[in-house]
Order: sequence, then structure tokens, then C-alpha cells
Amino acid sequence: MTRPWRRFLKNRLAQAGLALLFLYLLGALFAPFLAPYSPYAQDLRSTYVPPLAGVSLRGPGGEWGLFVSPAFRHPLEGVQVNWAEKYPVRFWVRGDEWEWLGLRSNLHLFGVEGPARLYLLGTDEQGRDLFSRILYGIPVSLTIGLVAVGIGLLLGAPLGGLSAYFGGRMDLLVQRLVDVMLAFPGILLAIVLVAILGPGLTNAMIAVGIAAVPIYARLVRGVVLSLKALDYVEAARALGASHGRILFRHILPNALSPLLIQSSLQMAIAILFAAGLGFLGLGARPPEPEWGLMLARGREYLAVAPHVATFPGLAIVGLVLAFNLLGDGLRDALDPRSR
Amino acid sequence: MLTYAIRRLLIAIPTLFGVVLLVFLMVRLAPGDPAVLLAGEFATPETLRAIRERYGLDRPLPEQFLLYLGALLRGDLGESARSRRPVLEELKTYFPNTVELAVAAILVALLTGIPLGILAALRPGSGLDLGVMTLALLGVSMPVFWFGLLAILIFSVNLGWFPVAGKGTLAHLVLPAVTLGVNATALLARMTRGTLLEVLSQDYIRTARAKGLRERVVVFKHALRNAMIPVVTVAGLEFGSLLAGAVITETIFAWPGLGQLLVGSILARDYPVVQGAVLLVATSFILVNLLVDLLYAWIDPRVRYD
Repeated sequence: MTRPWRRFLKNRLAQAGLALLFLYLLGALFAPFLAPYSPYAQDLRSTYVPPLAGVSLRGPGGEWGLFVSPAFRHPLEGVQVNWAEKYPVRFWVRGDEWEWLGLRSNLHLFGVEGPARLYLLGTDEQGRDLFSRILYGIPVSLTIGLVAVGIGLLLGAPLGGLSAYFGGRMDLLVQRLVDVMLAFPGILLAIVLVAILGPGLTNAMIAVGIAAVPIYARLVRGVVLSLKALDYVEAARALGASHGRILFRHILPNALSPLLIQSSLQMAIAILFAAGLGFLGLGARPPEPEWGLMLARGREYLAVAPHVATFPGLAIVGLVLAFNLLGDGLRDALDPRSR
Repeated sequence: MLTYAIRRLLIAIPTLFGVVLLVFLMVRLAPGDPAVLLAGEFATPETLRAIRERYGLDRPLPEQFLLYLGALLRGDLGESARSRRPVLEELKTYFPNTVELAVAAILVALLTGIPLGILAALRPGSGLDLGVMTLALLGVSMPVFWFGLLAILIFSVNLGWFPVAGKGTLAHLVLPAVTLGVNATALLARMTRGTLLEVLSQDYIRTARAKGLRERVVVFKHALRNAMIPVVTVAGLEFGSLLAGAVITETIFAWPGLGQLLVGSILARDYPVVQGAVLLVATSFILVNLLVDLLYAWIDPRVRYD
């Protein structure tokens, strides 16, 4: 392993970021198995049930263990628990049927044996299990981030690179385009694009991705401009190397570390922006288990059921934090100026 | 200085032109009949005809753009499909509220972010430094809407210190301003710490210390002045972003600003208002950036005007 990479793995920030990200990836990969219920399974008798409602540590015969009693929302008296019935919580329980990555099963890591449901983080406005929905939200948010960063990178980096390498009129044109896009600060560019494309999860991804294009274009332009003038590039040109060879063999490898740093930080921004669009009603549509959208639904009954807004937000903070830590760690390890 | 200012202004013009072009194309690129988009779904055939006439929607695109530009220069931004009021009037109603919120937010960020950054830089590696930097990292990782909802939950619903939403008294302003300012606060704290640490390691600071100056004088009179130059610039740019960031904050707190108008208009497909609001925010952002550039050139003697 090269020295920067060893430095990266030894960096405390990077370690924390990697550990956090690993947890999320595990959650994303095994979401249907880890989640006790389907994210779409409603129970309109148990809306806005608080976390761990009906959970007790003593069974019907007084024995110790984890037991759940049915919890319902009474229209006038709030949440009612029928303590007379108790059902045990078990591992490897058969429950809601799921299909994931080509696999079909109804096996869940844990669940209740009997007609009661375990709500670790409570339920939402339709009586859906919040814990299950948050787990299913991980692959949604990761996909949004990856697609958006991919769009930004694949469009922005070549644009900035070619613009700087060839210079002249093309550079001027690209720079004006970048200036115009950057005149829409922060989330506004994504909002404008959604207004054109129409609301929805796919369009939100595209919008957030295009909003990242000027950032990559500017970054790569700066790197290429500074490298273009260096002696070794000049030497390669004098030896008769083609433009393609110079760009890919001599310039691109040196642009990789700033791109990597930026992409990690950009993942954080993309996830925040997409959640923001979801919150505003411009991104994912119900019943999609998207965190921003889930938070927006929790807003209406904030006083009655604060958990509906709290937990999806925590999920966002953790994932965004993971990418920010990773980005900071990468910068400390790879950027020679920051040492 | 004056020629520099004029040159910077001239550079901003093509950008502004591009923004207008993009906003113009917004309606033409969106799926559907532009006349219906501009007049609203329930427009009568007469209204549609009038709209087509006014924007020349049957004519080639470049001509339509010139018509749009001409109307814009006369201050005619069209008419809201929802309220039937001129878009300019709508913007005049809502924009001052957004500016008020953004000013309050940047004040929060300046008054808390910079002192926190200074404290952290004075004791690098200490528990205080670690605490401030952790908070700052959380601050940039937090979705504004989540922070806002938690603030409402704790300070309005449970403690009852501030109103839940709306605008009116100073108490109405507190939670939205803090919410909108939280990202900028974190950013400024990180920035202040970084630049101050860099300045403190320079030779002239060592000289000042060697002269036997008191630490307070070294930090506040010698180091801070130079460290503040990039911080002030970032604060200025952040202020521009806050105008856009207000979109989400206003929605949470039902603050009657441009952001709320924008989101409501997008959902109702009221395109003339969307265009007007986007144009206004982008133009303000360009102007703020221009002012920051000039301010930077004025306070930093190293910037050359040519």
C-alpha cells in the first residue's frame, strides 16, 4: 500500500467515517432481513404509536424475556395497550414476504410470534413500522447519492478538463456556463431543475446530479490548468504524445485525489439536497421510504408523535456525517497542502 | 478601484444574461403547452390567446426571448396564475421577509461562529477545540429541516418559549434565524479556526511575541485582522446562499418569504411566479457576490486591481 493510503487508514476521522459507512452498508444490503416488517405494511388501528409501545420484560407466566402486547390508537384516549395478551419476541421469525436482489423469502432476523407487532421506533401516520421504513430508506438514499455524484462527475469532470486543456473559446464558453449555473446558490439549482423536469425521485436524482456539474467542472479545470504548465506534461507533448494520451496517462492520475475528496463531500451534499427535495414535496413520492419525505409527514403531528420526525432525521445525520468524515480524512491524507 | 469595480460589474452582465436565458427556457423546456403553463390549467381560451399574443408563443424561440427580455426590462414579469396579481407585486410582498430572515441568520452565524472558531484556535488539540469542531462537523452534516423541527419540538411545543410558526414579533424570528444560520455558523467556526491557526504560525506573529507583546494583543490586534479577511469573504458568500437556503427554513416555520412562495408555486405549477422568484434570488446572489468581491479588494491590500 502506498503511503497516502496508509495515512488515510490511520486517520481517526477516516476511521470513524469508514466504520459508520460500513454500518449503513450492512443495513442497506440486508434491509429486508433486518427489518421485522415490510415498509409498506399499514395498520390503520395503530397510527402514531410511540417507540417500544407494549413492550415488557415479563411474560404471561411471570417469566423473564422480551414480550410484546398489542398496542392500538384509541380515537379519544390515545394509545392503548392490551396487557392481558403477551407474545414473545424471537429470532428467525417468518413474517412479511420480501424479494431483494433476486432472493425471495419471508425470514426476518427478529419479530413477534403472535398477533402483536414490535415497534422499535414507533409507527407513522399509516401505522407502518418506522424502524423497517428507515432501514429500507438506506439503499434509497445511497442510490440517490451515487447516481447524483455519478452524473456530476461524468459530465462535470470532462467538461472542466477539456475546457482547461484546450483553452481558448471553448474554455470561455464553458466558464460562462459554469458561472450561470453557480449563480443559483445551494439547493436552488436543484429546485429549478425539478421545476423543469417535474417532481419525483428519479428527477430529483438527476437534478441534484446536474447541480453538482459546475462544481466538478471548476475543480477539474483548476487542476488541469495547474498541471498543463508543468515540465513533465510539456516533455510528453514534445515526445509527440497525443492529446488523449496526455489527458489520460499524465493528467488524469494527478486529478484523482482531489476528485475523490470532492466526491466524498459531494455524496454528503447530494444526500442532504435530495432529502430536502423530498421534504419540500419535490422529490420522492409516497409511499416511498425516503427519509426526507418521512420527516415531512412527521411534521404535521410533531406534538403528538415526535418520533416520526426525529428518527429519519437521525438516519440522515449519520449517513451525511459518515461521508463528511471520510472526505475530511481523505483530504488530510491525500492533500499535501493540509499537512 | 473604480475601474476595477466597473470591470467586475461588466463581467457579471453575461452571467446575468445567462440566468435570464435559463429562466426563460424553463417554461419552454418543461413538458406541456407553455401557454397553459403560464396561464394556469383553468385558463379560459381568451386568456390563453392573450398569453400567446403577449409572449408571441407561435413565433420562433429567439424572438420569444427578445419579447421576454423586453417585458422584463419594463418590469413586467407576467401575472400569477394562482392569484392573478402581477408577479412583481407578489415578489415585493414576500422578498423583504426573506431578506430579514437571511440578515438575522448571518448575524447569528457571525456572532457565534467566529468566537467559537477563535476559542478553538487558541487551544488547538484541547477538549474545547475538539468539542467545537465536533459540533461544527455535526452542524454541516445536519439537514436544516430536521434541526428546525427539533427546535420547534423543544423550544415551542415543550418549553413554550417561542411561537411555533408565523411572523410578527421578534420572538417569531429567533428559531427560524438560528435554524437557517446553523450551517453557516458551523462553516464559519471551521473557517475561522483554520485561518487563525495558519496566521498564528507565521513569522510576524513570532516577532510580535518575541517583542514581549501580551498574548491578547498578539491575537486580537495582529493575527485576527489578517485571519478575518477570508472569513469575511466566506461570510458574504454564505449570505447569498442563505437567500436560497431560506426555501426550506421558511417552509418549516410558515415564514411568509420568497421560498415559501417558490415551493407553493412549483407545486401549483404557477410558472410566472416560479420564474420571477428564481430570477430574483439568482440576481441578488450575483449582486451580493459582486459586493463581496469589491469588499475583499478594499480590505485586502494584497489584491491588485489590474
